[in-house]
Amino acid sequence: MSYAYLFKYIIIGDTGVGKSCLLLQFTDKRFQPVHDLTIGVEFGARMITIDGKQIKLQIWDTAGQEAFRSITRSYYRGAAGALLVYDITRRETFNHLTTWLEDARQHSNSNMVIMLIGNKSDLDSRREVKKEEGEAFAREHGLVFMETSARTAANVEEAFINTAKEIYEKIQEGVFDINNEANGIKIGQQLPPTNSSISGSGNQGGQTNGGCC
Amino acid sequence: MLRSRSFFGWNRPKNRLSLEHLKYLYSILEKNTTVSETNRSLLVESLRCIAEILIWGDQHDSSVFDFFLEKNMLAYFLHIMRQRSGGASFVCQQLLQTLNILFENIRNETSLYYLLSNNHVNSIIVHKFDFSDEDVMGYYILFLKTLSLKLNPHTIHFFYNEHTNDFPLYTEAIKFFNHPESMVRIAVRTISLNVYKVENISMLQFIRDKTAAPYFSNLVWFIGKHILELDNCVRNDIDHQSQQRLSNLVAEHLDHLHYLNDILLLEIADLNAVLTEHLLHKLFVPLYVFSLTPAPPMSIALLTQNLAAVLNKTVDIDIQEMSNPRVSSVVALYLLSLVFLVVNHGPLVHALAWVILNGDQYVFKEGAAEILNAYIEGREAVAPGFGAPQESLEEALDTVVGHISVSSDSYSEEGAASLLHSKSTGPVERTNITDEEKERLRNLDNSMSADMARPFLDMILSSLDCSENDYLTLLGLCLFYALANNKGVDYEWFDRTLMKSKKGSCSYKTAFVNKLIHIALSASQSVCRIRLITLQISLRLLEQLTKPNTDDCCITEQQQASLFAAKDQAMSTLRNYYKSEDMFLDLFEDEYLEFTKTNLNVEFLCDDETILLPPTGTPLTGILFNRRLPCGEVEKARRAIRIFFHLRKICQTFLNEEETLLPLTNVKNCVNMDNVLDLNNSDLIACTVCYKDNSKQRRFLVIDSQQLILVEPDSKRLGWGVAKFVGFLQDIEVAGDKDDSRFLHMTVHRGGASHNRAPLLSARFQFDDHIRCMAAKQRLTKGRSKARQKKMHQIAHLLEMPGQTVLDSPALQGSSKWSTGSGSRSRSDQRPTMFVNNRVPGFAAALRRENVPSAGISRVQIAQNRSVEGIRNEGQGRSRRRKSSNSSNSSGSNTDAPSTSSRNRSTPRSRDNSPRMPRPRSEEIPMEDFQHSRSNSPTIVVAATKVPSRSATPSRLVFEPSSSRETSNSVVVQPVLVSPSSEETSFMESERNSNIQTV
Repeated sequence: MSYAYLFKYIIIGDTGVGKSCLLLQFTDKRFQPVHDLTIGVEFGARMITIDGKQIKLQIWDTAGQEAFRSITRSYYRGAAGALLVYDITRRETFNHLTTWLEDARQHSNSNMVIMLIGNKSDLDSRREVKKEEGEAFAREHGLVFMETSARTAANVEEAFINTAKEIYEKIQEGVFDINNEANGIKIGQQLPPTNSSISGSGNQGGQTNGGCC
Repeated sequence: MLRSRSFFGWNRPKNRLSLEHLKYLYSILEKNTTVSETNRSLLVESLRCIAEILIWGDQHDSSVFDFFLEKNMLAYFLHIMRQRSGGASFVCQQLLQTLNILFENIRNETSLYYLLSNNHVNSIIVHKFDFSDEDVMGYYILFLKTLSLKLNPHTIHFFYNEHTNDFPLYTEAIKFFNHPESMVRIAVRTISLNVYKVENISMLQFIRDKTAAPYFSNLVWFIGKHILELDNCVRNDIDHQSQQRLSNLVAEHLDHLHYLNDILLLEIADLNAVLTEHLLHKLFVPLYVFSLTPAPPMSIALLTQNLAAVLNKTVDIDIQEMSNPRVSSVVALYLLSLVFLVVNHGPLVHALAWVILNGDQYVFKEGAAEILNAYIEGREAVAPGFGAPQESLEEALDTVVGHISVSSDSYSEEGAASLLHSKSTGPVERTNITDEEKERLRNLDNSMSADMARPFLDMILSSLDCSENDYLTLLGLCLFYALANNKGVDYEWFDRTLMKSKKGSCSYKTAFVNKLIHIALSASQSVCRIRLITLQISLRLLEQLTKPNTDDCCITEQQQASLFAAKDQAMSTLRNYYKSEDMFLDLFEDEYLEFTKTNLNVEFLCDDETILLPPTGTPLTGILFNRRLPCGEVEKARRAIRIFFHLRKICQTFLNEEETLLPLTNVKNCVNMDNVLDLNNSDLIACTVCYKDNSKQRRFLVIDSQQLILVEPDSKRLGWGVAKFVGFLQDIEVAGDKDDSRFLHMTVHRGGASHNRAPLLSARFQFDDHIRCMAAKQRLTKGRSKARQKKMHQIAHLLEMPGQTVLDSPALQGSSKWSTGSGSRSRSDQRPTMFVNNRVPGFAAALRRENVPSAGISRVQIAQNRSVEGIRNEGQGRSRRRKSSNSSNSSGSNTDAPSTSSRNRSTPRSRDNSPRMPRPRSEEIPMEDFQHSRSNSPTIVVAATKVPSRSATPSRLVFEPSSSRETSNSVVVQPVLVSPSSEETSFMESERNSNIQTV
């Protein structure tokens, strides 16, 4: 699959906030969310189109790698975008945001776009963190905010794509040094469009024709 | 996919998540064992659904899993994977995703064991996928990572086969240690660390014996190559052009170092020994330490050797050694600093420290083996050398797996036992070198004669020479600091080693202290060669080395005198910048704040790649101020101020003195937000604050000697108010309003070096009339300049400016205090509650003091009059007040009687002065307000603010009638209200009132 840009994302946040479910929901819509069944994956990629350009989003979940200092300090670097996720039904996951953000800010390149995500918005009855609180936190720290539900797929698409749009804008503004791969952005080989688009239609599986099943 | 699915739709079970569906999917796998163009979409979809059903089954229906295992469906997976045709890579990707989902989401431990039980997972791991596909690579490495997270002493047997000496999860993963994709490298590191963490002796033995040497040698070689790249970048980037690239290289190197440290921290003794040896012999000594000493020019070396040959003598020059790779001394100092800042593993850092402090060129031939042997027995001496490993990691690992049984014999049970043993004793060894070892080290130390050459230590010492600039100095200091503060290096030993005499002169320690003081001296000059950070570190080290105020303080008088001379020099340098301009004071206070805030963190400093580049002055590089040279006059002034602070502080430390003159503002005397203040003695101006958002607040403006306070009457206590806003007078900006003379535009800026440039307050102040407005403006402007003037005097005093008289600064005296909070005030000391100290002429508040210091204006007279009156009336008023408060308490109603009476009594006398006084008055605090608000009658307060501003004392107007109860006074009240010229009097009354009303 040819693409104009590849953006590397990381997903961070406490365990159990639904990071890998969000990821799977975005990259592979063929998995239909079913009540009482949580499926997640820690890696995924999907093509999106922004401004008429094919952009590949490659998402890495960093779960389980927090135990070692050498790992935590390195995984923020090299990402163009980060989704910082908390669970609206668990207050403590919201309280830990500051720590996550400090870590991210300390180790990432300053241009990394961070989006704050309050996940599990479908469980409104068990809500412990108000939407306004999330908004306030985001405002205070200069993040984009959204409440999502990996289960109902509400806002999941938007969360990933809006982040990509912001990165794209930064590229247009010349903020990102796109030749430096440590920024989490890769320029694709600008191959002339070949028949790969035909044979590739099935290539990404549900990623390109997702939602049909 | 859609097509294929609907094609099979009819015989597909309705329930997507059921055993039946899995059986149906199984039938698809059975029928499509060969992947082709036609069936691959179907296969992909089936594999995807299998993942879904299995996870569902794991959580809901165990029969699903039984079926999966019974039919050995993983074997089908493998079979599909191994086909190379028909877009297999696409199917492979789905397969890997399914496996990822499976292993990530499975919760039931038995299910996991079943999945792992037949060797299929290992077969999948060793399968050569198409790793050029970045998605396949991603899924694959995360699959391994997921598996590594499942490792524990039980599951390890599924992955590590003791009999075949096979551990594909680990060996396959580490082959990617140098993958171009950073996330892959990170995953590899995680996997390896997760593996080492598992406590399984035979597995660890396998790791050490079969993989440690090839893996670590490759890792070290790779790090070394990375460093050469970094060095190249530093050499070619003298003008800070590719800072971003350098930044990445440094960050990447730090990742490596932290990874090595994480391995060492796991305290697997045998593994650590191998790693330590590789690091020392293959990287730290032959590249880092080797690069400390500059290479002699090749031609001279050759000449010397030839000459020696002619003369039949041997010289110790190794031509081959000279052509070894070398990094610049800047980079070498930096890299060594990083090692000592990050790694605390005793054997490693101690050995390296030993080499640096005691070693000479000889070490490159014989190696640090001798040192290392002091820690680990039975190591063969390895000649140090930085070079590529003989085998690539992949080759090495392949051979390892090939000759399993043969080599495993040579490792006896003894090895396993020692491993077990060392594992248990490991932690002790690491943190505390045993006595035995200490003894051994001491012998080693002694065997090195005192007068031997120490080229590396000499080099660090000479790097501290800052006659030209402090480029190398800063890095030398970093290394020295890191050495002195590393937990793995015994400080006592370090200190003792430094005490050894340098050839023919003083000890190294004395030499170091001299250098440090010399840095301080250079920094104090007006020529800017030394960066602030350099001075900071050197002063810190100076303190650490000389231990002031302790029994073993070791600084000579001469050294101390030099240090004090440096401080005096810094002071005189700073005097050149002392200006009467506003800016200097702001700078001074900003810098003091920065000075107190900044905590020296060398580790943090060394994360900054910019210290690798020559010192620069331009702020455009984005380098922090204290890490670069000043640019322009303002920054030079800032630097001079800061250097003065640093030197002043260290001199005080040596003298064991407390700082008494700084900060200029004594915070203890400041009013804070929401403090409850006794305003009985203070001077208030009523105003309405109109904010930008059109909100309005009724407040009283109080002007202290240093602060501007907006208060709201306290609802509970008479004569007290709550501070709703406080700002420093020195930070205000006041301007009149062109259209309405009752308005003032006031901006209160944030003091200090705040990056927040938004003002603390920016609002329009509306006063009752233009006279009050003018009064307020005048007082604010004067207050501002007085506050600043006073601080400038303080600075002059601090800098011992010639011809300056000693001032009593608020910082010096602690007596000026606001009485806040509690209302318990003894009657005897009720007068000097507020604004007592340091009145400066120009302050209305000051006028009330008996002992106004000096004021050349007529107002003083009034003030004296007033204060005399105040005293006179005090006694009477007080007794009356007491009476009335009793009555008001008993009756439960509010009465203004006491206040009015006292005011009226004094009015005639004060009025004599008022006509001559064009001075605008300030508004008294309407005591009535207090009283009323105390009894919770907000309506009246509201009414008061609504009264037309035309009247001089609007609030009183409302209450005046009630005062007529005391008939004798009511007559005199009228003029106060009618005549504007009597404002002055009412002001004075209020002050008297307040004296009286306080209880």
